[in-house]
Order: sequence, then C-alpha cells, then structure tokens
Amino acid sequence: MVLGLLIVLSGFLLSILSLGFASGVGARMGMTLAGIAVSLFGIVGVLNPAYNKNAIWKK
Amino acid sequence: MRQQTRILTLLMGALLSGAMVWAQAAAPPAAPPAAAPPAAAAPATPAAVPITDLDLKGVEAPKAEARAKGDPDGALTGTVSDIAVGDAKKGLTIGDVVNQVGQNKIAINFVWTLIAAFMVMFMQAGFAIVETGLCRAKNANHTMMMNFMVYGTGMLAYWLIGFTLQMGGVGAVGNLGGSPVLNSEFAVTLFGKTFGLWGQNGYLLMHNGTYDVTVMVIFLFQMVFMDTTLTIVTGSAAERWKFSAFLASSFVMGAFIYPLFANWAWGGGWLANLGGNFGLGKGYVDFAGSGVVHSVGGLSALAMAIIVGPRIGKFDRNGKPFAMPGHDITLVLTGCFILAFGWFGFNPGSTLGASGNGNLRIGSVAVNTMLAGMGGGFTAMFYMWFRYGKPDASMSGNGLLAGLVAITSPCGFVNPVASVVIGLIAGILVCVSVEFFERVMKIDDPVGAISVHGVNGLFGVICVGLFSDGKSNYGGSWNGVSGSVTGLFYGDAGQLVAQLIGVSTLIGFVFVFSFVFYLLIDVTIGQRSKAEDELAGLDIPEMGALAYPEFEIKTSAMRAGSGD
Repeated sequence: MVLGLLIVLSGFLLSILSLGFASGVGARMGMTLAGIAVSLFGIVGVLNPAYNKNAIWKK
Repeated sequence: MRQQTRILTLLMGALLSGAMVWAQAAAPPAAPPAAAPPAAAAPATPAAVPITDLDLKGVEAPKAEARAKGDPDGALTGTVSDIAVGDAKKGLTIGDVVNQVGQNKIAINFVWTLIAAFMVMFMQAGFAIVETGLCRAKNANHTMMMNFMVYGTGMLAYWLIGFTLQMGGVGAVGNLGGSPVLNSEFAVTLFGKTFGLWGQNGYLLMHNGTYDVTVMVIFLFQMVFMDTTLTIVTGSAAERWKFSAFLASSFVMGAFIYPLFANWAWGGGWLANLGGNFGLGKGYVDFAGSGVVHSVGGLSALAMAIIVGPRIGKFDRNGKPFAMPGHDITLVLTGCFILAFGWFGFNPGSTLGASGNGNLRIGSVAVNTMLAGMGGGFTAMFYMWFRYGKPDASMSGNGLLAGLVAITSPCGFVNPVASVVIGLIAGILVCVSVEFFERVMKIDDPVGAISVHGVNGLFGVICVGLFSDGKSNYGGSWNGVSGSVTGLFYGDAGQLVAQLIGVSTLIGFVFVFSFVFYLLIDVTIGQRSKAEDELAGLDIPEMGALAYPEFEIKTSAMRAGSGD
C-alpha cells in the first residue's frame, strides 16, 4: 500500500519537475503525460491490488 | 459677387463630397471586431459635450401629486430621486451619479453571484435524492442523513479553516468590488519562481479586516462549491460507511483537502500562475470546477471506496460483480433534474458577476452547460441501449451529470458545437468508466460517483486545453496573463500542458492527500460499519430509525398473512 502511494505521488513530482528541467512545451508535455501514467499505474496496478488481496468478497 | 460665392460654395461642396467618396473607397475593409481596437473601428462621433452638475439640476424628479396616484406602468419608479446625494447643500452632482453607477454594477454582480450560490446550495437536495434513490431502501435514512449533515459539517470546517486556506491570498476580486483584504498567501520559491501554497487571511470571517461585504459574498459562493465536493464522497461509500467516520472525513475534506487544491487553482496559488511564471497558456484554467470541485470529489471518492471496500454481496468469490439496484428510480431522475437546474448557478455564476469585464458571456456559459448535459444524457442512454438492450434510466441520468461535469471547466471558453462534442464524449466515458471500475478494479461505487465526477472532471480539465476557442474575454486577461484562453485546437499547446499539470496534481497529489487522511481516520475511528449492521441495513443500527417504517410494517404483515 505504501509503495502504491509513493508511486502515485512520484508521478505528480515528475510533472512538477517538468517545470524546472524542461523548457519546451513538447518536453514538458511529455514529462507531464509520463507523470500521469505513473500515477495511474500506482493506483490501478499497485495500490488497488494491494487492497483487493484481502477484499471482503474473497473471504 | 453673390453668384461667385455660390459657385465657390458649390465647388467646395463637390470637393468635400468627392474626398469623402474617395476616402470611403480607399479605406481598407472593416477589420473584424476582435482584431482592431473598438476606437479605431468606430465611426467619427461628434465631440463629447461635458455634463456638469448644472445639467443635473434640470433633471426633474416625479411630482408628488403624480406619485400619489400610484405608478401602474413603472415610469415614475426608479428615477433621479433614487440617487443618493452626498452633500445636501450641493444637491445632486456628477460624483453622486458616477458613484451610483459603480454601486449598481457591484450590486448586480453581488445579486447575480448570491442567487447563483443559492442555486448551487439547492444542488445538495439533488445529490441527496439521487444517492438515496440509487441505494437500497434499508439504507435510505442513513444515506439521506449523510447528505444532509455533510452540508453543516463541511460549512463548519470551511468557516473555521478551509476558506482561509483557499481564498486568504486571492487578492482583489474586481467583479465584486475589489476588496483588498484577502491578501496574504504563503508561498515558497521553486525553480526561481514563487509557488503560492495556501492563504492566510480570513479565519472566522473576522480576521484582518475580512468582516467585509465582498468577502461574505465570496465565502458563500465558495462554500457551496466546497460542499458539492464533499457530497460526492458520500455516494461512493454509501451503504457501508460508519456515520461517525463520515463526519470526521467530511470535516477534514472541508478544512484541508478541498481548500488546498482550490487555492492552487482559484486562490492565486501556483497552478493558476503557470502562465505568468512558466509561459504555459493562461496558467491552469478551471472556469467552474471540473477539476477543483468534481475531480477532487471524485478522486477522494475513489480513495474512500478503496479503503472502505465493496459492499457485502457486490462480488462473488471470483470477483464477478452483481447488480445491486437502487430502490427508487423516480428519486434518481428527479434529483438529476434538480442538479441540472443547479448547474445554471454553478457555471454561469462562476463569472462572479453579470456586469462588466466580459461577463455578458453568461448567456453562452449557460447554453454550453445545457447542451453538454443533453449530449451526455443521449450518448449514455444509447450506449446502454445498444450494449444491454434497454435505455437504462440511472445511467442516462449519470450521462446527463457526466456531460455537465465535463463542461464545468470549459463552459466559459468554448463554443456550442464543442460543448455538444464534450457532452457526447462524456456520456460514453461515464458508461465505460463504470464498467472499468467495477469489472477490472473491483471497486464498488453504488452511485457511479467516481466515474461521473472523477473521470469526467479530469476530462473536462483537459477539454479546456483542447477546445477553448480564444473568443472569450473576461476583462482582457485570465490569471494575470493577457489575452483569451485558447486551446490546442486553436493554436496554444501551452494551455494543454498547464491543464495536464493540473490533472497530474489531482491524480498524484489530491488522491494521495485524501487517501492518507482517510486512512488515519480508518485506523482511529474505523471507516466501515459492522458486517451485521450492513446486512441489516444501516438505518436502524446507525440512525435508529427506518426511512420507510410503513413499508416495513406492510412487508411484515404480508409475510404474516402468507404464513412465512
């Protein structure tokens, strides 16, 4: 769960970093889209499956 | 001599006429209004004659005898006698008239904003009956109570803390009189630029001069928006959310989660300044809150739904979902109508005025709003009809809401065709999204709040960066950057980047922030009700009373009569 949250947060940080480390619109857009993808992966691929491991419907 | 003079006059007249004809023929075609300053395009006008205080003396007030007969056609009501005179000795002056004009403008904007806020407040009733109708009858009291108490809980948190964090550093709002008292923003420096993080003025609406008429209007308007956000979460966690945990979670959301992002977008924070600081369009733009209100609510709803888990019986042991139909589709669709009505306060009201600064665009904003709602309702209905054989009522309602959510950000910047396109896409998006969350992620969202508000809210934020046509002009700038908001399809890719950074902030920060808060409450209070309470229905265990006691008595009597 903690790993999932960290991955989601890191996607946001990647987008913020695009403001400082990229100057062109294209590069910033690329980094921001990558950040969104990382955050979505953190929710869909890591955090939610961690919760579903002990889901009530599995008991 | 007289004849010579006549000939000379005729010649001069002919020369002047010829010159005028030549000038008209030689003049370039009239430039489009947007391309030329109004003064250059306007025809020559006679020199202005200054009005003096003396001229005002000639303006007569209706005579007392005439007023005594009544005023059936309204011609005697609202005249010079209604203008407040500053100095009785001087009588009516130009200064008095000008002050009255200024006050009239602000009065129009106050009334407009307040009425819009009252309409948004009434959306709470719409949310309450939509959610209750989509839940089972045994949880109706509990669901209604959550929607009822979220209003007061959120308001208390926002009055105590949230408003200051959100708006305490917004600065002067010109449409509402330009009061400068909300002027303190906590900021850090990053990449050499100032990043505003939260406001610091306005605690209890008394702190540092904030006992102010303008601040009161801003508070009321922003408060009802915040409450809309909070009520989204009650939908995704319905039928298994412990009431005490709901109260604590709602307080935290009204005090911290919502105000923080709202400050960044609307309170002069760092997202709003992406344009000024980094040249990204006009900065993050969110006209009425697809992101600030709906995505924050929807993503918090997702966090809560993950933490609280699905209802008992929603999935079998293999994870196959079962439908758990709501108990009253009449309530659901009536609630959708109430919400659609309230949205006319939500979106057009977000101009914060009807007079001045391009605010006459309120008509366009209102039309865009209704068109997108129509589009969403249609595509959701047809999607369900084609896919499942029937035009599902609840998803048609959710489609309408999805269209409204998606247009909430771009409504002030797009044209009617784009609004319909946005609505049509939103209607499909909500249906696909509901299936995704239920079948792939195994997340139980009884009312579809995550899909309607979260997913379509994010979509709406992106639409600003795509469809904004650059025709709007709210006082010549937005977020302090000159020009009109213009999306990628009209030539400004930077605006889309600003919107995507907003999306990333919502998913990557707001989701995590709310998740951590809700998790802390889960550890201390416990978010989920007991299994036996959930199976019995939360009305009696949590609220102590059924929503429909006669319904229960009738059912018992029927059982007794049938010998069960």
